[in-house]
Amino acid sequence: LLWKESWELAKNPMASKGSPLHGPRIKLIEKAQQLFSETKEHIFESKAAEEHAKLLRIQHDLEVTTKQAIFVDSSISDTIRTCIVLGNHRTAMKVKTEFKVSERRWYWLKVFALATIRDWDALEKF
Amino acid sequence: MAQKQINILKNIRGKKCLVIDPKLSGSLSLIVQSSQLKEHGAELRHLTTEPVETDCTKMVYLVRAQLNLMKFICSQIHNDTLKGLQKEYFLYFVPRRAVACEKILEDEKVHEMLIIGEYPLYLIPLDEDVLSFELDLAHKECVVNGDTTSLWHIAKSIHKLEFSFGTIPNVRAKGKASTRVADILNRMQAEEPVTSDMGIPEINTLILLDREVDMVTPMCSQLTYEGLLDEFLGVNNGAVELDSSIMGVQQEGKKLKVPLNSSDKLFKEIRDMNFEVVVQVLRQKATSMKQDYTEISTTTQSVSELKDFVKKLNSLPEMTRHINLAQHLSTFTSKPSFLGRLDMEQTLVEAQSYDVCFEYIEEMIHKQEPLINVLRLLVLFSITNSGLPKKNFDYLRRELLHSYGFEHIATLNNLEKAGLFRKQDSKSNWLTVKRALQLVVEDTDTTNPNDISYVFSGYAPLSIRLVQHAIRSGWRPIEEILKLLPGPHSETKKSGFASSPSFDTIPGSLNNLEKVADGRRSLVLVVFIGGVTFAEISALRFLSSQEGMAYDIIVGTTKIVNGHTLIETFVE
Repeated sequence: LLWKESWELAKNPMASKGSPLHGPRIKLIEKAQQLFSETKEHIFESKAAEEHAKLLRIQHDLEVTTKQAIFVDSSISDTIRTCIVLGNHRTAMKVKTEFKVSERRWYWLKVFALATIRDWDALEKF
Repeated sequence: MAQKQINILKNIRGKKCLVIDPKLSGSLSLIVQSSQLKEHGAELRHLTTEPVETDCTKMVYLVRAQLNLMKFICSQIHNDTLKGLQKEYFLYFVPRRAVACEKILEDEKVHEMLIIGEYPLYLIPLDEDVLSFELDLAHKECVVNGDTTSLWHIAKSIHKLEFSFGTIPNVRAKGKASTRVADILNRMQAEEPVTSDMGIPEINTLILLDREVDMVTPMCSQLTYEGLLDEFLGVNNGAVELDSSIMGVQQEGKKLKVPLNSSDKLFKEIRDMNFEVVVQVLRQKATSMKQDYTEISTTTQSVSELKDFVKKLNSLPEMTRHINLAQHLSTFTSKPSFLGRLDMEQTLVEAQSYDVCFEYIEEMIHKQEPLINVLRLLVLFSITNSGLPKKNFDYLRRELLHSYGFEHIATLNNLEKAGLFRKQDSKSNWLTVKRALQLVVEDTDTTNPNDISYVFSGYAPLSIRLVQHAIRSGWRPIEEILKLLPGPHSETKKSGFASSPSFDTIPGSLNNLEKVADGRRSLVLVVFIGGVTFAEISALRFLSSQEGMAYDIIVGTTKIVNGHTLIETFVE
């Protein structure tokens, strides 16, 4: 069990070392998730790995649609902020529901993002 | 020590290029001047991933035994070979060679090209009363990776000290690493006894303390002058580096190194004071100087009075230096965010209002404030509560990963392994510890302190309270409290030394004034394994200066740390 744990840990950072090929990376993370889910103590890690893989997929899609390589490897919060800054409120909303982002965090992110682009009108309304 | 380094260079004839580990250069510069190196025909370079450009045919590497550094060296040698350059390579490990490192060299097939040696740099004096082992990763290596090489190193350093100062009769240790060091030291003393004909040893007591025992103190923001300088500007090997404009020098964008040690008399006077008081003291000094000046210019003075005045003027550069620094610091300390954090630290240490703290930290994460700041408070939160309830623990972990990225799962794992941020498994005993050791002191007078709690404006550092007890009476009276803190404790007393009857009386007690022959007070060496903060050193200096204190205190540490640098080692 200990052996497995250390193995997975070694793999996780290895996977996130940012190879441009996302396919194998996502697969690695999913494999890690499976391994984590085999033991009872690692439910949290398993969920985190699952979300990580999901996030990478969304980020990958976003990069394709926006043609900007700025999404991969940023956190969920960063992704939402970037979406709002780019005026893509629908995707931001989608990410929010996808990862069950709490209302409170959502408000902070939105306020910061709107302040960055100085969209005071939207800030006022919101 | 300096001689050894020069000997290494002397033994290698002709021009040579000395390539040193950048992490070592600061501490080495405290021992050897770079001009001295040049005298011996050495070119000085830092070891980086970049190949070294030099005409020298002799390369001398001076590095810590770290695996990644070995890779740099290998690639440099390969690079030379590819270019067809024939060079001689010398490799010196600081402080000693490691099998794993040599294995890499063998794998890369460069081992036989190197002449390998050791440069036993054990203790570096950072100041008159502070020694450092310069092991910056010791804490993390021990608690996360279970690597205890550094403990041997620490014991060896202390044993070497004993050869100059006599065997230390009393050893008190608290914490897993500390008791191990005490054991190793014991064995070394048996294997290689110190032949002492010096009578009473100069160091009376050795107190070993794990950083792990008190992780609360470093997580709090230090409020002494030197402590604040370290928190905001980062003190490195007794100097801070900052923009020259701050120091009033008109040189755009240039960095300036300001030395900070006790050879600066004003600094020696104010370094340990609470910052509030430092500002007052500086103002007072400035006004008195101004007064003197007006007196000089309005009335006729005798020559001796003039001389006094000129003498005072000599301290002017120091005054300007510290007024500039203090002014720069106050731009940080007056920020609402800093005051808010202090307030929160106070609340956490008092451990009374769980929900308030939880919400504050949650909001910090939501606002994506700097990760290290968040983790500092979170660690403080976790320790004072003996961990967090599972629900809150998982919630905060999830929010952290969402806000800062999933790669930090490794960071969280490190912190959990180190016991710094974890699930609650038992009721917190922080309140008991806090009460028993009087860690929170009401009405702390920062101007005329009568207790060490002045360094944190009301919180007396746990570590130093323990030291206080250890010096006064040993562990026995506080054994119940010690059991509540992490790690075992041990206490040994060696007697039977020739001509030292004083050891038969109660050692360490206040009424037992042991004096070394020339009337100096004997020493207590306090060693922090895993680092010490400036505020704690200040508190120890304060203890040492108290009336009725029978000892001078010397501080030994693996590294000078603060909450920031400590947490940083855990972040992946």
